[in-house]
Amino acid sequence: MPKQIAIYGKGGIGKSSTASNVAAACADEGYRVTIIGCDPKSDSSITLLRGRRIPTIMDLMREGMDIKEEDIVFNGYKGVKCVEIGGPEPGIGCAGRGIIVAISLLKKISKAIEDTDLVIYDVPGDIVCGGFVAPVKKGLVNEAYVLTSGEYMPLYAANNICKGLSRLEMTLNGVICNSRGAPNEENIVSEFAKEIGSQLLAFIPKDVLVQTCEREGFSVIENAPDSNIAGVYRKLARSIMTRNEGKIPVPLDDARLRELTRI
Amino acid sequence: MPVKQKEPLIMHPRPSSIVAALYTLRDLDTDVVILHGPPGCCFKHARLLEEDGMRVVTTSLDESGFVFGGHDSLVEVLEKVIERFKPKRIGIVGTCASMIIGEELHEAVTQVQPDVPVIEVEVHAGYRDNTKGVIMALESALACRIISEAEFERQKALLKEATMVEKRHGAASKEYLAPSRGDLKFKVAGRLLELIKEGKKGLNILNAKKETAFMFADINLAVDEAAKKFGSRIVNMANLDENVGLPKNRRNAREIREELTQKGMELHHIIGGLDEYPIAGNTASRIIGEKYQDFDFAVITGVPHALPMDNIKNMELFSITNGPRQVAPLKEMGHQHVVVEIDLHPKTLGVSHIVESEFGATLREMSRDA
Ligand SMILES: Nc1ncnc2c1ncn2[C@@H]1O[C@H](COP(=O)(O)OP(=O)(O)O)[C@@H](O)[C@H]1O
Ligand code: SF4
Ligand SMILES: [Mg+2]
Repeated sequence: MPKQIAIYGKGGIGKSSTASNVAAACADEGYRVTIIGCDPKSDSSITLLRGRRIPTIMDLMREGMDIKEEDIVFNGYKGVKCVEIGGPEPGIGCAGRGIIVAISLLKKISKAIEDTDLVIYDVPGDIVCGGFVAPVKKGLVNEAYVLTSGEYMPLYAANNICKGLSRLEMTLNGVICNSRGAPNEENIVSEFAKEIGSQLLAFIPKDVLVQTCEREGFSVIENAPDSNIAGVYRKLARSIMTRNEGKIPVPLDDARLRELTRI
Repeated sequence: MPVKQKEPLIMHPRPSSIVAALYTLRDLDTDVVILHGPPGCCFKHARLLEEDGMRVVTTSLDESGFVFGGHDSLVEVLEKVIERFKPKRIGIVGTCASMIIGEELHEAVTQVQPDVPVIEVEVHAGYRDNTKGVIMALESALACRIISEAEFERQKALLKEATMVEKRHGAASKEYLAPSRGDLKFKVAGRLLELIKEGKKGLNILNAKKETAFMFADINLAVDEAAKKFGSRIVNMANLDENVGLPKNRRNAREIREELTQKGMELHHIIGGLDEYPIAGNTASRIIGEKYQDFDFAVITGVPHALPMDNIKNMELFSITNGPRQVAPLKEMGHQHVVVEIDLHPKTLGVSHIVESEFGATLREMSRDA
């Protein structure tokens, strides 16, 4: 069975950039990787596809297409298989149901989530309803990672996600710090990770390269392979691929969370 | 990438996939089914199915269930069902409400760990063809090893045909079909008796869907009685093969067949089983082509629109259906007389004997007076 992971965290914190850079780094190491974008914004795989936007499963469903694997699974950087679920227009219909339907369709028509070494589910920042945890509930995710910075709000979101995970009896396999340059950030996130019963897997510095590469339609792994930050993503990718112990997280109370961000 | 041929809009309400799943679970001898959804969902059929001995209960999701999820209710109801009914086989059936909010039926089963098989059907009513509900129920039954792979494939092929039959000449054939009560029974019975009395040669075909045969067979029986009385030649065909289908369908075929035999009606041709109504018409058509092409009239009960017109188009056709929306398509196919047995299905639940039909009764009455 492939490693099936989901990366959670506050909206805008860097889940998609981390997911695509980790995907690219794993592909460099020779792993077969599949990335499933579950955010209706459908921006998980652009940097693996040289800036190209692929049709989403929801787009094709809306048009009444008879969907085949080749219509929705696209080969990106070094053969990374890219799928975007997409969603309805904001404020219309039910995006959660969309994810449920798309996941069952994908399972039915494609081997992309089975015949592979790593599947990354890039989920939206807020798990707003039952549909957004469909991959977890349907047993398609067996490892969860939380991405946060050392600021209060992202940590608050991370802590909330831990509440959700423990309710779903889903293990947390590690915390990743995506730095926003807050003071004492690495210590704060490391302490947070420890207190919820997990550990800090990586400290990704804030680096403008991420954004410049992104603007050109690339991951830093592809466009700036020798950069310092590419090295950080590689190290993270290796530790994701080699470890697998996880624990159901124990969320903190709000008072402790506030206190933490003051250290 | 091929664009799916856009299915034309159909506006009249049609059978529901959830209900189809419920009936399939009954055919699989399920003792209790839990509908995971709002209290009123499938109310009428849930009640009717109890006549067949299957209990249907609901998790009664309400507004707060929609918002906060219904997992706990499902667990509670599942536990209560096990305690109260001591079922040997349980079904859990989804509804639009629970499926849209992403309820996982299996989570409750994992939590409760019943020691009897649970058939989980994640169905909602939003499928174009209600046969989807049957297929989903059968898929789960297959996963629980309650039916064999071979039976599953057989059923799937039949359902595909059933869907095609409805598309060609049935409830899915038009954008809108108005309901109709059909032709007057005494007029149609009068014309039928006229032909019989003239000594015309007739075909008497039962091609009914599952338990509806309990009442449709009564009409074929009445036709056979009249033909005997007036000494005219009648050939009887019926989809009463008792060696195919799910347990209930086999049982029912045997019961009806035995009763017909006991009442002196000879079945000249068995054209299939009670679940083979979508294809039994083809078998009948082939037999007619080989042997009876020169016959004068045909009485077809049950699913008359599943009988191809090729070999019967020169006959005077009498069809008896239970679908008020089936009248117009049958007339369009060329059936001269179309009779509707209103509300037939409910009367055929929970029975093991042939049930009197209005048209059968009319025919008997008029034949007695003649
Ligand atoms: N380590 C980083 N350094 C600099 N910018 C980053 C870093 N990580 C992410 N970003 C930028 O932050 C923005 C939001 O990231 P994104 O991955 O889209 O977040 P999410 O998927 O969590 O909503 C993007 O423009 C991205 O390039
Ligand atoms: S909409 Fe769906 S869930 Fe609601 S009552 Fe109708 S069939 Fe049941
Ligand atoms: Mg994102």
